[in-house]
Amino acid sequence: MNRRRFLTLSGAGVVGAVAGCSSDADTGESIDDHPAAADLEAQPRRGELGGHVVLAFEDPSCPTCRRFHENTLPDIRENIVDTGKGAYVVRTYPVIYPWGEPATQALESTFARDSEAYWSLFDHYFAEQSSFDPDNVLERTATFLTDETEVDGEAVASDARNRAHDDAVQADIRAAEDAGLGETTPIILLFEDGEFVTKVNGSVSYELIAEALGERDG
Amino acid sequence: MSTAEGLRLPTTRGDWRLMGRTVRLVLTLPVYAAVAAIAALVSLTLFVVSLNVPLVLDLVVGGSLPLASRLRVLGELYPFIGTSFNPAQGVLLVVVAVLTGVDIGLATYHFREHGLDLQQGGAGVAGVVLGTLGAGCAACGSAVLLGLLSLLGVSTSLLFLPLDGLEFALLALAVLTLSIYWLAEGMRGGEINGCPVDL
Repeated sequence: MNRRRFLTLSGAGVVGAVAGCSSDADTGESIDDHPAAADLEAQPRRGELGGHVVLAFEDPSCPTCRRFHENTLPDIRENIVDTGKGAYVVRTYPVIYPWGEPATQALESTFARDSEAYWSLFDHYFAEQSSFDPDNVLERTATFLTDETEVDGEAVASDARNRAHDDAVQADIRAAEDAGLGETTPIILLFEDGEFVTKVNGSVSYELIAEALGERDG
Repeated sequence: MSTAEGLRLPTTRGDWRLMGRTVRLVLTLPVYAAVAAIAALVSLTLFVVSLNVPLVLDLVVGGSLPLASRLRVLGELYPFIGTSFNPAQGVLLVVVAVLTGVDIGLATYHFREHGLDLQQGGAGVAGVVLGTLGAGCAACGSAVLLGLLSLLGVSTSLLFLPLDGLEFALLALAVLTLSIYWLAEGMRGGEINGCPVDL
């Protein structure tokens, strides 16, 4: 085998190996068929379905999710949600610190009562992230909800302890597992007008999301 | 130089001066400076791309975006350009990448001039692997480290990792420093570009 032929075959082998490891086989897949988007209409969201969808799997105890929530989400809301171009949908995925699990139970119990209170509680978890642990999270959740929202905080804490809305928690976890998303949160799936574009991990910028969704100005 | 069961560690001021002088002498040779710079850029790219392989394959390598958009998507993955890393994480990753470049520059010089032993080469590879893990943990919080510790039977419910997984990157710094020291030690007594390595 001559050198050029060897290099050509080696290069093809490397590209083939990389392609084989990738998960891009479902690029272009309809959002209706994507396992991560199962039962999408029942999930907490900002904006209306039908256009672009930014589907985020987040853990309230995840520091990188906090940075995504604080730095990138405002731009998503301003440029995609508020302009009517699409929706931001969140699914909770407790995989980082242990207090994220009871917090997720509390989030689902809150969402079952009041969607606005859900978003307030999500913001609260990120804003006060370093102060939570498995022992105090439900007590502090109850206090916050009672003081700052219309929801009965003690009832939510009780539901969370009894896993009253565990079906919703498990549905999100199952969606992530069925889609093979891994556990590097936040995991953000981008759908351009109903078609899957790509999956992104980490606190990526709005500029990257805009490029992926064809929304970059100029 | 101190020796612990045959493992040499840089413990004296002279050891650090030896490392500094060796690095300076090797990197004044343009070829090896270029090797170090390219290796640093490649390793930083490896660190950041390893977090988002599907994204890179879907949009940078494949897909239908124009070239400028592909480059912008790739650029947004790097520290200080995009928002994937906070400033501390960004600094640490860049330092690990620079040290990786220096390590590979030194190893290339040593390999071409004198051959390379297993300890020096192995430490360099370990540094790159740990740097990649550090980048991974910078994004995922501490999931990987917590998973490893729970496998070892360490209770994770009480664990608090102040750097949110960047502990791996700090470990990479230590391993790369050791690797550079061992390479410098291996060149002690020789000359680089006509200059004696020993002070």
